[in-house]
Amino acid sequence: MSQILPVLHIFSKVLMLFAFAFLLPLGVSIALEDGAQLAYDEAILITFFSGVVLWALSRRGKRELHTRDGFLLVVLIWAVLPVFSAIPLLVYMPDLSFNEAYFEAVSGLTATGATVLSGLDSLPPSINIWRTQMHWIGGMGVIVLVVAVLPMLGVGGRQLFKAETPTPMKDSKLTPRMAETAKGLWQVYAFITVICMGALWAGGMSWIDAVVHGFSVMGLGGLSSHDASMAYFDSLLLEMIVMGFALIAGISFSTHFMAVRMRNLAVYRHDTEIPLFLGVLAVSAVGLAFYLHYKGFYLDFPEALRYTAFNTVSVATTLGFSTTDYNVWPYFAPLWMLFLSSFAASSGSTGGGIKMLRAMLLYKQLYREFIKLIHPNAEIHTKIGHQAVPNKIIYAVLAFLFVYVASIIVLSFILSASGLDVFTAFTAVVAMVNNTGPGLGQVGPATTYAVLNEFQTWVCSFAMLLGRLEFFTLLVVFTPVFWRK
Amino acid sequence: MQRLAPSLNVLGLVILIFSFTMLVPLTTAFFAHDAAQFAFDESFLVTLITGLALWLGARRWQRELKVRDGFLLVLLVWTSLPAFAALPFLIYAPEMSFTDAYFEAISGLTTTGATVMSGLDSLPPSLNLWRHLLNWLGGMGIIVLAVAILPLLGIGGRQLLKAELPGPIKDSKLTPRIADTAKLLWAVYAAITLVCVFALKLAGMSWFDAVCHAFATLSLGGFSTHDASVGYYDSPLIEAVLIFFMMAAALNFVTHLLAFRQKSLAPYRHDPEVFGVLGLVIASCLGLSFYVWQAGVYPEFLTALRHVSFNLVSIATDCGFASTDFNQWPILVPMWMLFLSSVTASSGSTGGGLKMIRAVLAFRQGVRELERQLHPAACLPVKIGKHAVPNQFVFAVQAFVMMYVATIVAMTLVLLASGLDFISAFSAVVACINNAGPGLNEVGPASNYAGLNDFQTWVLAFTMLLGRLELFTVFVLFTRAFWRG
Repeated sequence: MSQILPVLHIFSKVLMLFAFAFLLPLGVSIALEDGAQLAYDEAILITFFSGVVLWALSRRGKRELHTRDGFLLVVLIWAVLPVFSAIPLLVYMPDLSFNEAYFEAVSGLTATGATVLSGLDSLPPSINIWRTQMHWIGGMGVIVLVVAVLPMLGVGGRQLFKAETPTPMKDSKLTPRMAETAKGLWQVYAFITVICMGALWAGGMSWIDAVVHGFSVMGLGGLSSHDASMAYFDSLLLEMIVMGFALIAGISFSTHFMAVRMRNLAVYRHDTEIPLFLGVLAVSAVGLAFYLHYKGFYLDFPEALRYTAFNTVSVATTLGFSTTDYNVWPYFAPLWMLFLSSFAASSGSTGGGIKMLRAMLLYKQLYREFIKLIHPNAEIHTKIGHQAVPNKIIYAVLAFLFVYVASIIVLSFILSASGLDVFTAFTAVVAMVNNTGPGLGQVGPATTYAVLNEFQTWVCSFAMLLGRLEFFTLLVVFTPVFWRK
Repeated sequence: MQRLAPSLNVLGLVILIFSFTMLVPLTTAFFAHDAAQFAFDESFLVTLITGLALWLGARRWQRELKVRDGFLLVLLVWTSLPAFAALPFLIYAPEMSFTDAYFEAISGLTTTGATVMSGLDSLPPSLNLWRHLLNWLGGMGIIVLAVAILPLLGIGGRQLLKAELPGPIKDSKLTPRIADTAKLLWAVYAAITLVCVFALKLAGMSWFDAVCHAFATLSLGGFSTHDASVGYYDSPLIEAVLIFFMMAAALNFVTHLLAFRQKSLAPYRHDPEVFGVLGLVIASCLGLSFYVWQAGVYPEFLTALRHVSFNLVSIATDCGFASTDFNQWPILVPMWMLFLSSVTASSGSTGGGLKMIRAVLAFRQGVRELERQLHPAACLPVKIGKHAVPNQFVFAVQAFVMMYVATIVAMTLVLLASGLDFISAFSAVVACINNAGPGLNEVGPASNYAGLNDFQTWVLAFTMLLGRLELFTVFVLFTRAFWRG
């Protein structure tokens, strides 16, 4: 118990702070009188008082955090905040079961964008804002997580990114450096979000839709205020805007931060992930457009390109909006999009999956093994850009990838053992682990995750957390070693 | 040409030897007076003359084989022999396309056991014998055979063995003289095959069927002389005998050899893989039988156990016999069987896939990285039995596993793009890369690979080759470094 008290103490503060997040939907609800006000009142009270009680109870255990506490804190935040986030949904929709509300909240906070709700168009605007505000908050969490916290915990080869964090503080204590890094990144994140909302509003959305979708795009989440997702607007201009900002959110926020600070676009040229990220997406969008056009699915090439470009960018960056039911396309196309979603996003972005940098390292390591076959005694160094990558990190990355693949296989087996068909189970797991959102088959873009039973919903919630916390952070808490003194 | 010629010289010799194996079905055809005799006459002559011409023609360039020549030669042997092996099919059945004949031959030599032929029961015996002989020759390896017979391959032989023998540990426990090793391995292999022939005969097969099925069992190939495969006999005794010998073939032949020599069972206890292979197979058999029985497919548990055991062992060991259409079972069961096919067989066995030892090592490395999260500076060796495995070795295994996964993903996407459905494409790729045989759906146990178009057939033929030569031996030839300098 004495081991987790300090963690609970910090967590209680996070909880109290989190209570303030409900103020935005509360304000909207009051201003528009949309009938959901009570939900936020209760959510604020419960969340805040839980925080206060926890704070009071855990005051004795205050001390400096160690690495081990870091893991526990991160897991606690991501697994327990959804419970409180689900309160407004539960209060407003009493017939929603707890596991579904938790699923929706995890999907929100992990920026996945899978939903169990339908009839979104008739929900109170404040509820829709809250759903995507969770994306945005989750996105903030992810940025700090991947840029400041995980490198320090050394998760999955993340040490590599230490060098790239914008504030090169040599202090190895967890909190001060996190705070410094976080502040700078959040400013940039908020700044771009405001521009995005402005652009969406200027592009023809109502201001509520602009806020909802702005949150969703920047967090690369994918929840929408319409059942038809982006197809509701049927506007090429809006699709271009969303694509543009999805691409921006798919690039490392460290790079954005440097660009803003130095007022210089040259930093983008030094980011080794960007050319591959953009290149893969451009080639895939054009290639898939040709494929669908060739298969006779769209008679018109520009029309095919419009659909493939938007949906490819949306799925590959792990956003998860759709403008058409791509579940009915020849299966190669949506599966290719899902495949992209597992590695396209950059390492410091709000996107999910294994990240482009790890994919690059995998490729380089495989190439190195080939050279070793031909020249068994050669010493070969792996480089990213001009920086040599130490072996230890490469091996951590390979282990990370192994755990990633193994998780997908195990979770797919669990879902199909519970009665889901293999195709749905597999695509759902991939979409969950990559925090993309819609899968294929029964959980495709035109349907929702409401078809899942209670057990399957819990498995999917777990898969989303697993992916968002980069596997090791979550799994390490389940090892016996972790709890041994 | 400078690079190619020395390999071509040896290739000629290998083809020459290979032509003599055709004398076996030729003699059979002669005595049985069956309709395929002329096919073998012609094939024998063509192969003999080609081999002779190549050997003599490239004689000028004869020299000691180097590392790169080894890779080149192994690939040349494995791609050109199927073409010659396909000749009898082509000559006997002129309506068969070259694609299909080549597929059948490479499926035989790689011990996959996927077939495009039907009406097997009415084929001339000599042709069926030829198919099974291909299985048997491919099982222990053509190069191993050549090395055993040809001392002139000299030091290059070790390199060749490395490129062809399955499994990560190219053994050094045995006699240092490579030709002796090869000879001993073949002797053990032949001895066990002989025992299997008698056992099958005693269990009720005709002599001819016993020989054919023993060939297919020990090589874990999976061809049968009947369209209904082993389901034709409907005999629990035969199935039990086959299960026993399939399990034996899925263990390391070096271990068998040591056991023979020491006349004790101790080597099996010291083999780090035996426990994993037996444990995994037995646990899966019991678990899945229970599942199938609960699902109501079979009214009695024992019937379920009989069918699940046989088909599971057959697929898991990468043999590929079927006694019933397991495609009809709840999809989880065949999927799990396919999953087993990628991890069950031991290194140094005639089975395919990742091999048990690689799976165990990759898993241990995953766990090690997890523990390293908590103790970043700790020295945590990966152990097999009581021995610490060198890091370099662990990392090569990791790279192999990722290459394997990447290949499956890539090949599945290629087949999807060519129009196959997801389950068929995925299961066909897994079944072929593991050299197991039947997949699911369109390529399930009740149908065969004849339904595929030419392009898909070639893709799968290539996949079998990749699996048999364990990826790197093939892929290394596609790197620029291989051809440079």
